[in-house]
Amino acid sequence: MRGADYVLKRAAFALITVFAAITLNFVMFRALPGDAVTNLSRVPKATPELKHALLIQFGLDKPKWEQYLIYLKQLTHANLGVSFDNSQPVLKNLKTDLANTIPMVTLGTVFSIVFGILTGILSAWRRGTLLDQVSTNTAVAFYSMPTQWLALMLIILMATRYHFPTQGISDPFLLNPTPWAHIKDVLRHMFLPSLTLGLTLYGEYTLVVRSAMLETLGEDYILTARAKGLPPSQIVRKHALRNAMLPIATLIALSLGYIVAGTVLIEYVFSWPGIGRAVVEAVHNRDYPMLQGAFLILTVSVVFFNFVADLLYFKLDPRVTE
Amino acid sequence: MSINLSTPTAAAEVPDIRRTRGGFLWQVIKDRPSAAVGAGILLLFIAISLLAPYIEPFGLRTQVGPVFCRPSAKHLLGCDDGGIDMVSLLIQGGRISLAVGFAATLVAVIIGGGVGILAGYFGGATDIVLMRITDYFLVIPDVPLMIILAALLGPSVRNIILVIGILLWTQPARIIRAQVKSVRERVYVKRARSLGASNTRIILKHVLPQIAPLLIANTVITIAIAIFDETALDFLGLGDPSAISWGTILEHAFVRTAISSGAWWAVIPEGVCVTVVIMGCYLLGQAVEDALNPRLKVAHLSVRRFRMRPLGALGAALGGARP
Amino acid sequence: MSLLEVRDLHVWFDLPGGDELHAVQGVSFSLERGERLGLVGESGCGKTTTILALMGLLPPSASVSGQVLLDDEDILAGGEESLRPHRWTDIAMVFQGAMNALNPVRRVGSQIVEPMELHDVASGDAARKHAGELLEMVGIPAARLDHFPHEFSGGMRQRAAMAMALACNPKVLLADEPTTALDVMVQAQLLELLVGLTKDLGLSLILVTHDLPVVAQVCDRAAVMYAGEIVEAGPMESLFHEPRHPYTRLLFAATPDLLGEEEVVSIPGSPPRLDRPLVGCPFRPRCDRAFERCVAERPILKTIDAGHQAACHLNDIPARPTVGATP
Repeated sequence: MRGADYVLKRAAFALITVFAAITLNFVMFRALPGDAVTNLSRVPKATPELKHALLIQFGLDKPKWEQYLIYLKQLTHANLGVSFDNSQPVLKNLKTDLANTIPMVTLGTVFSIVFGILTGILSAWRRGTLLDQVSTNTAVAFYSMPTQWLALMLIILMATRYHFPTQGISDPFLLNPTPWAHIKDVLRHMFLPSLTLGLTLYGEYTLVVRSAMLETLGEDYILTARAKGLPPSQIVRKHALRNAMLPIATLIALSLGYIVAGTVLIEYVFSWPGIGRAVVEAVHNRDYPMLQGAFLILTVSVVFFNFVADLLYFKLDPRVTE
Repeated sequence: MSINLSTPTAAAEVPDIRRTRGGFLWQVIKDRPSAAVGAGILLLFIAISLLAPYIEPFGLRTQVGPVFCRPSAKHLLGCDDGGIDMVSLLIQGGRISLAVGFAATLVAVIIGGGVGILAGYFGGATDIVLMRITDYFLVIPDVPLMIILAALLGPSVRNIILVIGILLWTQPARIIRAQVKSVRERVYVKRARSLGASNTRIILKHVLPQIAPLLIANTVITIAIAIFDETALDFLGLGDPSAISWGTILEHAFVRTAISSGAWWAVIPEGVCVTVVIMGCYLLGQAVEDALNPRLKVAHLSVRRFRMRPLGALGAALGGARP
Repeated sequence: MSLLEVRDLHVWFDLPGGDELHAVQGVSFSLERGERLGLVGESGCGKTTTILALMGLLPPSASVSGQVLLDDEDILAGGEESLRPHRWTDIAMVFQGAMNALNPVRRVGSQIVEPMELHDVASGDAARKHAGELLEMVGIPAARLDHFPHEFSGGMRQRAAMAMALACNPKVLLADEPTTALDVMVQAQLLELLVGLTKDLGLSLILVTHDLPVVAQVCDRAAVMYAGEIVEAGPMESLFHEPRHPYTRLLFAATPDLLGEEEVVSIPGSPPRLDRPLVGCPFRPRCDRAFERCVAERPILKTIDAGHQAACHLNDIPARPTVGATP
């Protein structure tokens, strides 16, 4: 397979990074002064039984390096610990949280990618015109808005007028809904958070797409395509876009990893029960196992998507061989 | 705002800037309206923040009007949940928001600059190790890390500055490293080395001045990100509750039910301030970056087309008159 | 009737600040069937702009006047609209430095097939087969159709670009510095190929270059351009042995001889700025035979002999020795 060594190198890098993240995770929570887990007296809601169980499980009475090994061993068993807050396994909580976050993020991301690419191409095509300036500056404006503020603005502007719910993932008073009614309910709740995410993100895509397109349109092969008699629409589609897609695709892949992490503010405002809100709640409740587990999951997802971006770039650009 | 607005330039394309730092920046502002707008916005807000004690119409801790009173001639932007004048709060809020932005950026630039210079100048193993560390840092999702560190360290302005600075050093590091590498290979640097100048002297006298312009662009954008991050931390309750910044103003409004009370004036203005300042930073930073990386290529494809002129003498005579 | 006739072609470029650059100033020439014409001059003299204008490949900042008659039809008259149908089918171009003239993310074969399908010359398997034949014609194995441009060497890329240019059987081939940045051996092969192809296929060629030996190898006739206009045109022999313009003479003298026998004379000074109106002869500041008339009056291209024209006041002086015979 072409470039098998490239893939292997990137995979190795990804694995090493995950390992570094795991270690960082451990260090942050266990080895820093004011060690959170060991100092169980600071943990609210911890019953004596739980404290004792934790002591045994994490070996909190053993030296740090032994704790590290125990931690690693637990990870291989997919044991991320137990939440201080609801005494459930962290992994179980996180699975539910992720299942809530992903649809909302997907909807918002799809919107931002599609809208961003379209506006970016349009701006590049009409470079220098009023349309370009308006489009670009609007993108910058949305990109500059604090996410939580944009969320609040949308609530103020749209929630009451159009009856969009602003809290939670579903209506607690909707009893025994049919599957279809339930889906509709969730979608209605998802609208504002996803819209906020979409508007926050699209600006970056617009700017990058515009820049990539302009760069591409200055290349010699575009002149060749024009010389061949291709009409502008075909030139854009068959030559410009193909090349501009390289940086765009890698950007998308890279940003996917960070988006999950970036929804913290949105989920907080809308009380959306996802992984972002879980992080905030864990911080407020000093629920360190949850915090540690969530952080690990988020870091791994970023590493994973970076790796995907590497593969994507490799596949799309025939020049990459090293 | 987890994703960086700009990517580091390739080391090979660093232009040789022999103008003074101040001169270059001024040149960019004169040439490009977006830079002028950006700089203007920043200067305006800095001025307002500096003059805050003299221009605030009302006190910051005392109730001067009804709770959530509407905008009026007396209170242009109404009052917040404690009956405090919004305009005064906003003017004061700029101080901490901007200060944190600048300070955190300074931390980031110092750390990043140090790493970048060491990696770029000495190359070899130093470079590889430092760049690996940078790569790993880049991969860690910044918002969760920020939250966790802020929670672990405790809510104070100083900690916030530290946390944000730790988050943001990677971009300056990469840019500076690329610059340093390129400058290092320049003839006059090699000459200086052969003449026996010490590394420190070379770095200070030859390398730093060349880095300055691109660093300015990155610094300005980093300030924008720092301000953004500060408002995020405040909003989540991890900031200093006694400090008045645009972020804490928004947090208070949210927590104290400004929205359900319909008091939009307690919510909208502080966000507008942050947005405008961040936009200003972005415009200025992007303009400087564009000036350093001129896109010399003419677009070979465009909506507009070349024009035809009437034949012969008439066409030549019309030279200068555009259709 | 000539195959291609260019009459009084002017090209202006808008400059920031409202000025204009008069890049091409009244260029006229004709090209016969099967003829190989060289367009020679220093960089910036307008030769590339001239041939780009023939195909309408100018940026929006350009304005054009003049006529381009292809088989007696003025294809320039309607601007982009009237030019586009003739692109590649009648006039095709090989660009300078095909490093980037080929799209790096598309296979070479598909780029050769593309214009065939666009102009309904061929499609599907027939097109692919024809593309393979074209590659073979330029000395590249047909199997390399499915390769990407970066898998080709520089010389091969230029040859592939030539094959691509021939895809729709054009009547006229424009070549802009096709051998710059290639080493001498590859250069010579490429030029031989060019000559062979044009002869075999009955093509007409306009070769733009600043390199005199290249023109000498390939072309029957040449036009020398300076400051946006043609200052001399004629058969290669005449230009070399009996140049009728000081610039031509100096150009040929400035070319280093491989054996180092001739003295290398470089032309001091630089071409005039084209963003201001020119008074008098544009070459006067660098000319070694300028006189009073050259200061205020601009020379016009006049016929000296059959097929030999020059724009120099020296040619109007009767009974004087020729401008300068090459020893």
